[in-house]
Amino acid sequence: MTAYILRRILYLIPTFFGATFLAFLIIQMAPGDYLTQLELDPKITPETIARLRSQFGLDRPIYEQYLLWMNNLFHLNLGYSFAYQAPVLDVIWPRVVNSMVIVIPSTILLYLVAIPIGVYGAVRQYSLGDRILSFLAYVGLSVPSFFLALIAIYVLLQIKFRTGVLIFPVSGMTSSGFEQMPPLKQWLDIAWHAVVPILVATANDIAGLSRLMRGQMLEVLGQDYIRTARAKGLAERVVLYKHAFRNAVIPFVATLGGLLPSLISGAGFVEVVMAWPGITPFFLDAIANQDLYVIAGFLTVSLVLLMIGNLVSDLLLAWVDPRIRYE
Amino acid sequence: MKKALVLIGLLALAGAASAQTFVWPQKWTVAKPQEAKRGGTLRAAVISDFRTFNPFITAEATNVPDLLSGGRGLVTRDPTTGDWIPYMAESFTVSPNKLEITFKIRRGMKWSDGRPITADDWITTWRIHTDKAVGSNSYDTFFLDGKPIVLRKIDDYTIRFIYPKTDAEAFNVAIFAPWPAHIFGPVYQREGAEGIKKMWPLSEDPAKIVSGGPWLIESYRPGERLVLKRNPAFGEWNKDEAGNPLPYLDRYEIKIVKDTNAQLAEFLAGNIDLMAPATVDHISQIRQAIQQGRLDATIKVNASPVASSQFMVFNWNKASDPFKQSLFRSDKFRRAMSHLVNRQAVIDIVYGGLGTPMYTSVYPVLTQWVNPKVPKYEYDPKQAAKLLAELGFTKKDKEGYLVDSKGRRLEFNLATNAGNNQREQIAKLIVDEAKKVGVKVNFQAIDFNTLVGQLLSSGPDRPFDAIIIGLTGGGLDWPFGANVVPCKGNLHMWNKSGQCLDPRETQLDALYSRGRAELDFKKRVEIGYRMQEIEASLLPVIYIAGPNYHPAWNNRLGGEHPDAIISSIWGQRELELTFIKK
Repeated sequence: MTAYILRRILYLIPTFFGATFLAFLIIQMAPGDYLTQLELDPKITPETIARLRSQFGLDRPIYEQYLLWMNNLFHLNLGYSFAYQAPVLDVIWPRVVNSMVIVIPSTILLYLVAIPIGVYGAVRQYSLGDRILSFLAYVGLSVPSFFLALIAIYVLLQIKFRTGVLIFPVSGMTSSGFEQMPPLKQWLDIAWHAVVPILVATANDIAGLSRLMRGQMLEVLGQDYIRTARAKGLAERVVLYKHAFRNAVIPFVATLGGLLPSLISGAGFVEVVMAWPGITPFFLDAIANQDLYVIAGFLTVSLVLLMIGNLVSDLLLAWVDPRIRYE
Repeated sequence: MKKALVLIGLLALAGAASAQTFVWPQKWTVAKPQEAKRGGTLRAAVISDFRTFNPFITAEATNVPDLLSGGRGLVTRDPTTGDWIPYMAESFTVSPNKLEITFKIRRGMKWSDGRPITADDWITTWRIHTDKAVGSNSYDTFFLDGKPIVLRKIDDYTIRFIYPKTDAEAFNVAIFAPWPAHIFGPVYQREGAEGIKKMWPLSEDPAKIVSGGPWLIESYRPGERLVLKRNPAFGEWNKDEAGNPLPYLDRYEIKIVKDTNAQLAEFLAGNIDLMAPATVDHISQIRQAIQQGRLDATIKVNASPVASSQFMVFNWNKASDPFKQSLFRSDKFRRAMSHLVNRQAVIDIVYGGLGTPMYTSVYPVLTQWVNPKVPKYEYDPKQAAKLLAELGFTKKDKEGYLVDSKGRRLEFNLATNAGNNQREQIAKLIVDEAKKVGVKVNFQAIDFNTLVGQLLSSGPDRPFDAIIIGLTGGGLDWPFGANVVPCKGNLHMWNKSGQCLDPRETQLDALYSRGRAELDFKKRVEIGYRMQEIEASLLPVIYIAGPNYHPAWNNRLGGEHPDAIISSIWGQRELELTFIKK
């Protein structure tokens, strides 16, 4: 087992270099750079732009920029943001934390809701409940999250216009005057702001995950050993939860590794539409500005987490599934 | 004798006291001083987050240092006249040769930490801005044709600006906000540019940020909200006509809302007080909410045109394609193209009827500068066809496009930046109109950075035919672009061969320099009028149309500008004179 882990870690090294270089190259292949946006400003001379370009090191060959950046990485320095003139980690970390306020509850909620729905759909296949849930799942799958967020804002506004009460805020993470609140009230305030974004972020994913669960469960329920278990006269509940369910969730263990990078990668467009100060709007800004090291640094952190996550989920898989052994 | 001395002393004191305060004129607001209430919070939203508190490295359009300082310096402009008036200076004198301006700095102004604001603060700020290694965005403002503008301290309360040549925009340099020398000076001396760059990041404790303007930072939450609070030191020398200290507001809260739809939602919900809707849809939603009594707000539709230009530029440098090159360099061709631009349709379709046509490089909002008599080559397809026929395009090929006697088809590529829906719509309108008279226009929306690369490339052969783009940044003193008009200018987009190709370009180049050096406003306007006439006959670029400015505010606010000065130049209000009614 130890040998397997070591081998896996060794494999990760070339993957790391390959992936970071590719990411770096792709960012650089986009036309222009961080300073291009200044070029149409009549108040800034081309000489000034050329000077800034050399100060930022953007006039050097790409491999040189990459090697310099790698050297910094080994000193645990993700690089420097052009736009913020500050270390990348300092500027992305507060945003990641904000995103987690949505991502963690939404992930938990997702599993809590999607798995029972999937199991229900499989056990009561083609029942009225299954049909309604399937229909909702397809609607959820096909409505993009930013649109769902806009609908949520619309509904909140209409309620406000009718009743004069804003049940949940239409945007942001805290109310004005947040700094003056006592700590408990601050928590409550953030929670109040987070409700709608969490629901919107979850709604989309429930659809996919519950359909997957339903499919897995149906497949397992069709297996011979389930028939055997039933033939042995086991209670249906035991058949379902001890035999079928345990086998059906195994593929989900493999997806747990993917949760690690998704923890930091934000809740997506919900954050943009509802002005949640998470990583998504920030990252989109960085891409639009070609803030090279913010993009590259953030991708690197995601990459490392993904690699660790994959390793962990492979090990978990061996732990939950006696058929899998790494020797 | 004693009495006389006392009297002189009293007079001196009175003089000092009156010199200390800057009285904000009544005519800048609709409210009388006695109507104004103190206290309360103004809530606004910005589209992108702040990136630093550091005044020397800030580069965003809306940035914290400008908010703190109020965007004013030794002088400021009176929005009712557009004239420069002394602000942090008590008075100024211009030397007879017009190369030096000496400012008497107002006494009694203090930084928020209690230290006096003196000439040293301006000198240090100027030194740091002009240090190449700092990389300040204001660097270029301290140079005139590459030669430095020098600041000299005469004494603690006198400072002199020395210009390398006479300049119509001389006062523009003096609006830069000073920053405390006692904070930045020691660091600059000890650690140089690197030390300055590390100062005042967003993670800095707000209590350590020193301000000389109306606001102090109360708190900042990344990606969320910046809260500013009144700077009491500012109120000691900024008063309204009744002598009340300004600003009236306790707090100014700025939410960061990255999506304009979300900003609109916040405005409609009454959570933010200021809004400048840019699309017809947003305007009508606000109007509807007001009419149905759901929102107590005011919107000034079509208050003024915006301060930017929008145009189509043809590339004069196409050595590899002599046919197109001679076409693009031809007056008649460009005039025909202007006749094909249906500016009214652009306004109706792209801006929902809320826009303004443009004919010269002067933004329509700069009414003092716009020459009303320039010839306008309005939408007229027949005239366009006639001009093209004069160029030899009389026959049409099988597909219905015009060809010349050698069978060459009248065809060119037109590009604009992808994602700018309004420009893409304008391009499509031009494609349609051109097709009707038999000109084939191949439209393509391309990435902004690629587009800029093509547009600003130089030499005899450049990689584009025609581009739709816009510029901002023209000023009130001299609205022509320093790197647009001169033939060697970086933004001389139609011809970047490095030299003037048309005698009228040479003429414009010379007039530009003459106007920039002319200090008499009336004479300068005359030169500007002349330049616009030449522009209209040369049509170096074909101006199209731009949107209008539609400010809106929640009616809990008072103290907006009188209608006459609500415009994209002056905005809807001075925050210092704004107050909360309820």
